[in-house]
Amino acid sequence: MTQVRELFEGSAKTLAPLSGLLAVLILAAITTPNFFSLDVLRLVSFQIGIIGITALGQTFVLLIGGIDLSIAAVMVFTTIVLASYTDGQDGRLPVAILLAIGAGLVAGALNALLVLVRNVPPFVATFASFVLIQGIIVAWTRGAPSGSIPGALSWLGQGRILGLPVPTALFLVMAVAGWMVLAQSGLGRRIYATGLNPTAAHMSGIRTGWVISGCYIAAALSGVLAGLVSAGFIGYVDAAGSRNLDLNSIAAAVIGGVALSGGRGRIGQTVLGVVLLAVLLTWLIQLGAGAGGQLVVSGSVILLAVALQNGRFRLPSPIRTFSMKESS
Amino acid sequence: MFTSKLSPARGALRSTLAIGAASILVLASCSTEREGASADGATTGSEPACQNAEQAQAQYKSAWTGTAEAMGLETLEPVDEEVCEIDTSEWAAEPSQGDSYRIALAAQGPINSWGMISEEAFRMEAERQGAEVLYASANGDATEQVNNVQQLASQSPDAMVVVPMGEGITAQVAAATAQGIVVVCSGILPESSNAVSTVTRQYDLLGAAYAEWLVQELDGKGSVAMLSGLAGVPTAEYQAAAAKKVFEKYPDIKVVTQEYTQWSPTVGKTVARNLITKFPNLDGIWSDAAYADLGVVQAYREAGKKVPPMTGDSTNAFLKAVDGSDIKFALSTFPPDQSIDCLRTALQILKGEPVLNKVYIDSPSFTHEKASEYVRKDCSDDLMYTLHLTDEELAELELCK
Repeated sequence: MTQVRELFEGSAKTLAPLSGLLAVLILAAITTPNFFSLDVLRLVSFQIGIIGITALGQTFVLLIGGIDLSIAAVMVFTTIVLASYTDGQDGRLPVAILLAIGAGLVAGALNALLVLVRNVPPFVATFASFVLIQGIIVAWTRGAPSGSIPGALSWLGQGRILGLPVPTALFLVMAVAGWMVLAQSGLGRRIYATGLNPTAAHMSGIRTGWVISGCYIAAALSGVLAGLVSAGFIGYVDAAGSRNLDLNSIAAAVIGGVALSGGRGRIGQTVLGVVLLAVLLTWLIQLGAGAGGQLVVSGSVILLAVALQNGRFRLPSPIRTFSMKESS
Repeated sequence: MFTSKLSPARGALRSTLAIGAASILVLASCSTEREGASADGATTGSEPACQNAEQAQAQYKSAWTGTAEAMGLETLEPVDEEVCEIDTSEWAAEPSQGDSYRIALAAQGPINSWGMISEEAFRMEAERQGAEVLYASANGDATEQVNNVQQLASQSPDAMVVVPMGEGITAQVAAATAQGIVVVCSGILPESSNAVSTVTRQYDLLGAAYAEWLVQELDGKGSVAMLSGLAGVPTAEYQAAAAKKVFEKYPDIKVVTQEYTQWSPTVGKTVARNLITKFPNLDGIWSDAAYADLGVVQAYREAGKKVPPMTGDSTNAFLKAVDGSDIKFALSTFPPDQSIDCLRTALQILKGEPVLNKVYIDSPSFTHEKASEYVRKDCSDDLMYTLHLTDEELAELELCK
């Protein structure tokens, strides 16, 4: 009986974002007849790539009960490192990418240190990192970053693989890798265990510190990759372009059903949330909804998603199965 | 040890997240604001009777005439404004401390090249004038600027130049004026601020001129998309409102959509990609910023479509991107070194010299035909047109070689 109930609850939970997606697609078909044209679908797939890369990184942090508000700052910092070091020279790109990755590692490690060593709440720790990185950017560039983005990077933001925009292809590869880590590996089980009950996970021998550090570093590296894609897309250091990135990455994961309290959620849900958000944002622009309308609709969808999370239905996560198996 | 503290933190997560999300939204909405203005269009001044009105009014109208000529406009009617020369004898004063005037700068902050050039130009001019600078940066945040104005006023400067981030500082500016500090605004604030003079570009002029040029370019007929910066920010909304008034005069001009680009090339490009799919036969794009135009041009080029006639302010990045192309555009400049004019006005007031209550900066406007005169290939993408800075000073700021 319990198993049947859990199955029903799980299905309802997974079906909620899926039905939301279907509802938006139907509304889009009715209100914007050319929504399913190839050009518009390409726009949707591009949005999926840009939002999705950071949403995947955010998912890892959410699963261990954290949150990362510094991803967008890491992204902008990456574009500044690229422009400053290369000054548009393709030959200097590999070293610039390594430098950006190094900066991302430092940012992720800093977040982890603040959370683990100083016991700073994740929201505060990552917000502090966000402010710190922004401060470094302002002190370094004084608002006018020098250099320019190498042309060789444009493929990453503007190219296509098998008809798919490169950012979308990158997102899909990352999603498969993330699914393998979370659903198919011991590391995934440790992540869920740490997010559900860090004390129990620690007592059962899981090195929760390493798990948490790894998730924050993964999120920061997703910011670095997003920075590379963004630089390739526009060929310009654009601090303003990342304004909504942190919120969108959190929103996508939450809409899909990843729990803000940690330990519950799957990569598939994040992918679903990313697709839903990308479709929604593209549809609203196609619809001609004003800025206010876009924010109201997006906010309503997020509220609905959170309300469903906190409702009667509880998402069965792999860790429950894992725990039962372990205990038996 | 770690885990015992994580659980309560997790328990409090929902409430902190709500507060945090709100904070981020506020920061996001402010982070690239260039300068503020009032919602009602009211301007500054503890204004006595309007003196020398004829000459002041003529100077005001000449900015409109000059812009119309530069863009080749047959029609561009100035909006009604009462510009007066004011008697500043009541503000005349010797330096309150030492031999030099102490001038406070409540700045936007170096969040973009406009802010950086604005501040550095102010410092350079202060050095030339032998004035001491007290400085506070708002980092683009209207709330932070409220505190900045109070902090600066508490240091009793002789004058204060404010680059308003929004109307939230009105009461603090009024308090500073009541304290006897000469306040000059580099942007529009409500009259209740009691600022002595306002020195800025006029938003109505920019919005209307762009619209008139587009109408003329389209022979009074066609579909137009409007791209504004940030929703709710007066710099964006005033220009858009002025443009809409112009478009309303032409029944065959259809504004098909208004989108916001956050003054970002990335967002501008994304918006333009949507425009291309939804309005494949768009005739013109009214835009308030070349930051967005850069993305628009990229989107049209990547789609293999002809870029429609467009408008905006001027950045070196955009001018480089369209250099040598057949794209038609009309741009106007929004010089960041108008801060020098603000400082000069403040010093004039302290010396008791007459100044205008509203000093509308008259800086160049141009079309694609004259763009080659303004592009600086030897300079950074971030360079913006400056009124006063020399090439040596631009090189010192690492904007040019």
